[in-house]
Amino acid sequence: MRAIRGVLLTCDPAVKQILLMMNEKESFIIEDLDDHHLVIKAEHEYRIRKELETELEKNTYSLES
Amino acid sequence: MPSALPAESSENTVNPHALLPFLETQSQNTLTRLYQRPSSCLSIFRLLAPLERQIIMNLLWLESAILVSTMAAWVIREGRKQYEEAIATLGRLHILPSSSGKLALNSTFKSAFRQAITGGGTSGSFGVPAPPDDKRQPVDLESLDSFALERWETILHYMVSSGSGQLPTKPSQGVLFLLQRSGLMANHGSVLQITSAGFQFLLHTPHDQLWDLLLQYLHLAEERQMDLVEVLGFIFMLSTMELGREYSTENLSGTQKAMLEDLRDYGLIWQRRPSSRRFSPTRLATTLTSSSPPLPTSTGTSSGPQEGFIILETNYRVYAYTDNALQTAVLNLFVSLKYRFPNLVVGSITRDSVKKALMNGISADQIISYLMTHAHPQMRKNNPLLPVTVQDQIRLWELERNRLKSQEGYLYTAFASQADYDFVLNYAKELGVVIWENAAKRCFFGSMDGHASIKGFIERRTLGAGS
Repeated sequence: MRAIRGVLLTCDPAVKQILLMMNEKESFIIEDLDDHHLVIKAEHEYRIRKELETELEKNTYSLES
Repeated sequence: MPSALPAESSENTVNPHALLPFLETQSQNTLTRLYQRPSSCLSIFRLLAPLERQIIMNLLWLESAILVSTMAAWVIREGRKQYEEAIATLGRLHILPSSSGKLALNSTFKSAFRQAITGGGTSGSFGVPAPPDDKRQPVDLESLDSFALERWETILHYMVSSGSGQLPTKPSQGVLFLLQRSGLMANHGSVLQITSAGFQFLLHTPHDQLWDLLLQYLHLAEERQMDLVEVLGFIFMLSTMELGREYSTENLSGTQKAMLEDLRDYGLIWQRRPSSRRFSPTRLATTLTSSSPPLPTSTGTSSGPQEGFIILETNYRVYAYTDNALQTAVLNLFVSLKYRFPNLVVGSITRDSVKKALMNGISADQIISYLMTHAHPQMRKNNPLLPVTVQDQIRLWELERNRLKSQEGYLYTAFASQADYDFVLNYAKELGVVIWENAAKRCFFGSMDGHASIKGFIERRTLGAGS
């Protein structure tokens, strides 16, 4: 039996796909559990949250700009 | 009698006054000392619900205790619940001590309250008016009102415009400290910024806001080892004073004199000079325990419309009929403002403006409830009040921010057998630390705080199996 320390991410499948893509650039995923859950290394959490936000931001349309 | 629910009950809201729970937490000793002051008794009486007031009035002039059963006989079945709740509240306030089978008012409360009603006594509990000053005219109501309004709006305005880059006039250090301690504002780097609780605070009526702050002040006073009876007694004294009258500071205790400065900062009292030996309560202070509005509205200088003033259209446009800088500043927290006219501000709710608000800790529900409470009378014809599209979109924008949830912990995997897995999983479930599990993969995720116990459990088991 093994216990691995990490952070469990709960997200929707779309976000998970983006995360998988980001993982190819720089690996941070410890275990891919199912469509909604991933375990990642704790120290990467802040960085990937930032990157995910910029990624999602690309898909929004704003009246102002 | 208590049986008939008084018709006036609608005048008071169902919720008990914010101060009462605080009073209930105080010791009997503190409360009894407080009840020695007729002004405090009167003020507390005014804060109580109508039924509780009625019960007190019924018992006030009785010299001897009355049997519980006699009192209960007056109550009809429908009113029993309210009656019992009222009795319980009075019991917790130690106004009506619950003794076996008899009802009688706390004797201290009874004599002080009788004094308050009949106007006897020379204890100066209602404040000692200062002798008229020959050299100076006493301050007139108008300047008192504008002083109170200016102080109060400075506080609110400061809260609202914090972090928006503008530099509004800063309230005094004491007020800033209070705002921070009460969690209405928080330090972001070096500047104070409004918090979610602070925004909620802005949604309340001035009366509630005032009591919110005073409650915080009371908590602070407890920590500063100030005598709570003195502090409360002074607040209550102020609330029974007469507007536009000058009072002398001579009879105040040391604690109360120290409070003068704080209360001046909140706009509750006015003094010609900080060292002046007389002070005048403002409308904020004298309406503390009454139902009249705490801020003058007819002056029209800057208090803004009291009724709703916001029109929200389905195209996310917001029209706010106001000239009040404070209300404009509140809107600026979550609306991107476009034009400004003497009596009208136009803007629109955009994704960016809502996102900015969400980042400041303001929730979607708070935005929506602000728009609802301040909706223009014209909007009230609509059903639902706010366009559903806008409401939904604001909520969706909030959800968008939470697409990723994270929890730290341990992933338990590679179990030797199904039995092993089930055994450990059951233990972890009993602890309530399992966040995710998958029987097919034979692994589960447990939260951080469960790890030590699970680790110990497995070690004990392996040891047990080995021996």
